[in-house]
Amino acid sequence: MKALAEAAVDAALGAGASYADARAVTLRRQHVVTKNLQVDDLSDAESEGIGVRVLVDGAWGFAGEGRLDAAGAREAALRATAFAKAAPGRHETSLAPIDAKSGDYRTPLERDPFDVPLSEKVDLCLRAEEGMRRPDVKVTLAMVRAQREHKFLISSEGVAIEQEIVECGGGIDAYATAGEVSQIRSYPSQHSGVSGQGGWEFVEGLSLEGEAPRVGEQAVALLSAPECPSGRTTIVLSPEQTIMQVHESVGHPTELDRVYGTEAAYAGTSFLSPGDLGNLRYGSPQMNIVSDATTPLGLGTFAFDDEGVPAQREAIVEEGVLRGFLTSRETAKRIGAGSGGSMRADGWARMPLVRMTNLHLEPGEGSFEELLADVDDGLYLETNKSWSIDDKRLNFQFGTQVAWEIKKGKLGRMLRDATYTGVTPVFWGKLDAVAGRDEWQLFGLTNCGKGQPGQEAHVSHGAAPARFRDVEAGVSG
Amino acid sequence: MSRALDLAEEALRAAEGDDAEVLVHAERSGVARFAGSVVHQPTLIDNAVIRLRILRDGRIGWAATNRVDGLAKLAQRAGEAADQARPDPDFPGFAPRAEYPDVGGFDEETASLGPEDQARLAGVAIDAAGDFELYGYFTSGVTDIALASTTGLVADQTLTDANALCLAAVEDASGWAERTHWRVGDVDPAAAAQEAAAKAARTRGAVEIEPGHYAAVLEPYAVAELLRWFSYDSLGAQGFLEERSYFCGRIGERVFDEQVSIADDPLDETNLPKRFDFEGTPKQRVELVEGGVARDVVWDRGTAVKAGDGRVSTGHAPPDAWRFFGPLPTAFSMAGGDAASLEELAERVGDGIYVTRLHYLSIVDPRGGVLTGMTRDGTFRIRDGKVAEPLVNLRFTVPMADVLGEVHGLTAEPLLMNMNELYDDRFPHAALVPALATARFHITGTGSGPGT
Repeated sequence: MKALAEAAVDAALGAGASYADARAVTLRRQHVVTKNLQVDDLSDAESEGIGVRVLVDGAWGFAGEGRLDAAGAREAALRATAFAKAAPGRHETSLAPIDAKSGDYRTPLERDPFDVPLSEKVDLCLRAEEGMRRPDVKVTLAMVRAQREHKFLISSEGVAIEQEIVECGGGIDAYATAGEVSQIRSYPSQHSGVSGQGGWEFVEGLSLEGEAPRVGEQAVALLSAPECPSGRTTIVLSPEQTIMQVHESVGHPTELDRVYGTEAAYAGTSFLSPGDLGNLRYGSPQMNIVSDATTPLGLGTFAFDDEGVPAQREAIVEEGVLRGFLTSRETAKRIGAGSGGSMRADGWARMPLVRMTNLHLEPGEGSFEELLADVDDGLYLETNKSWSIDDKRLNFQFGTQVAWEIKKGKLGRMLRDATYTGVTPVFWGKLDAVAGRDEWQLFGLTNCGKGQPGQEAHVSHGAAPARFRDVEAGVSG
Repeated sequence: MSRALDLAEEALRAAEGDDAEVLVHAERSGVARFAGSVVHQPTLIDNAVIRLRILRDGRIGWAATNRVDGLAKLAQRAGEAADQARPDPDFPGFAPRAEYPDVGGFDEETASLGPEDQARLAGVAIDAAGDFELYGYFTSGVTDIALASTTGLVADQTLTDANALCLAAVEDASGWAERTHWRVGDVDPAAAAQEAAAKAARTRGAVEIEPGHYAAVLEPYAVAELLRWFSYDSLGAQGFLEERSYFCGRIGERVFDEQVSIADDPLDETNLPKRFDFEGTPKQRVELVEGGVARDVVWDRGTAVKAGDGRVSTGHAPPDAWRFFGPLPTAFSMAGGDAASLEELAERVGDGIYVTRLHYLSIVDPRGGVLTGMTRDGTFRIRDGKVAEPLVNLRFTVPMADVLGEVHGLTAEPLLMNMNELYDDRFPHAALVPALATARFHITGTGSGPGT
């Protein structure tokens, strides 16, 4: 694979490219899904190929080729170069300098998830499903997944990197229905569970079976729970919902390619501008956000990004002030910085884009109970259900699977169909407390979409429960 | 016989001795994506994915590869997966051999487009945007889908598609337009860019409005997105069987205005036509809503068996990437009405809002058919029956029963809207929908202004 990537880079340079990089990738993905105590999906998919990216007279070209052999590598290089030469108009792309390195990285793990027999995975899912079964629970679902990506990155500037990244995860859902009311309860999240970079021990640590009875019971309880009332109130977000807020209203708007408009037609742009760096008040002094591509178990953890830039940890928001953007070599150069190492590609057939790695809300102090204690009347919102945000990442609306009243500092009745809405910097300005390190949890998501053609990034976020004052909740149609 | 079908039959031979089905999904495509009138994410893809499903003693497992020299290992992995599954009493078996309609959907000129052509056609759009910078892409591709199975099934279709997606924008103004077809000769990138630029020119100086219920004109771009998101839980058999669909308990009942008729019509050559689904079942037109009455949802073989009432697949088995959702419509065909133009719809609304395009939809309440999202790239006030001042982007939270429940009219000519976001393996699909005027569109907030 390394030799093929080298040959592709040489072919691109020979065809007129001033810069070239090539990623030779093999990918294996395994899914086990059971639904209503039957195996719903049991699959084992592999894919391999080479993606070649070139610059010709300042214009990008990229080609992905599914034949991982000498002919495929050469054809990808020549096609990428031809595409760049054909690009209409004038192009002035240039890249921030890089300290070109050789290196390798492998996910530390105890038990390779691909060594775990499929039958063991099926058994785990079925046991978890059994725990959720209730008379009004019409559908139970359990899933586990595993992925191994092995890739070589070679560039014309001397980058030579081999990385093997292994991840796995799982989750459970219970759908309850009675009459016209249908409710879902999930663990650890609705979005295909959660995943972590590591071995099967990560899945075992989720305790899907242990959580299953609670998930089933809460799904049923939601059927008779009152609807979340409308009005302005104090909300406390669970870690899983807080990370969705971080992802949508901090992660995406701080992607510097979006700031420069490259996603304008699809995912949108950003309310931020480069001049906001160091100046813009993003939120309250309790708001501290870091991007950290070194987080243990993080899906965005690596030694080098897909441009060969070393993994970094840097502040994005410090005490409520914007301190950093997520960057590539190209976008970093436009603000006179070195790349923050956030370029990631979805497999071999997609061009790297600026993506989140692991983006966290840093913990504050105290326990969850202490966070609640200072709420006379409010809502505790748990587990994301719906999510939407405008094209500049300002107006958002989230729904959660479940809410509880907070009365005089204690959790009260369960509520269903909870939603809340706000405008990003106004909302973060209302953050008045984040619980401490002991309450902080990491969640890995595998469905972050961006780009055309579309790419799905695997990213992790950590957060503790967070409290926001004077928020509009209970938006109804 | 296509290369894809050759591969499918070769993979089937590798699984000799088992009940098996092979799907080959191949693409050769180019996307010239541009921003600020500069191509920045140009992507060429050449790949073929081979999926093998094996059935052993009632147990089903599958494996996939893109290694054409790895078919023996593919058969081994699929067999191992089947061995470790559990017997599935609901598995309907692989689809039988069938005859498929000749539906078109392939164009030699489109198939012959290479990177230079894709870049050139992107340039045509960029040059037509006038004073605006252009964002979006031109793409074309060839997609081969073939199936072969031990039931004797042999299915093969080569699809072409081309589309130009154009956002004309500057800092404080933006407008949207697109063109999609399976013949590149019917895709005019310059016309899309000009329409987007003309729309953008009217969006400067956008103002806010108070949240509340408004009558609204929705352009086809917006209508198609609403149908897509409504379909995930409500128009497919999985959501229906699992009681998340708005249609649960409402089949045969009046659910929308009598002017609303929605079908899924993959056989229509004015859409992006298909011969068969991803199980090899022949495609068929399915009436979803007729004259406002809920008629059916779409089915694949597995959901049809689970229904237990003798129904059969309508030919809507999804690609692997959509398995989570089950069968879904992929060729909406919404009947037009008697309005000659968008302007006439605005006249019928009188006082309300005008919406070009929607952004980032989400399902708030599946069973209630409630969606949320934002408007963008061409939102206006309608006053005295005329499109008036531009508005900032608006948050809507709407039950579809409201949006389609009282309709003031639909334009006569439906337009083809691209529905393929180019994730995973290329699967061109589109929606043929008109613009409509609704009496109720609930605005629940305001967001950013138009522009970049």
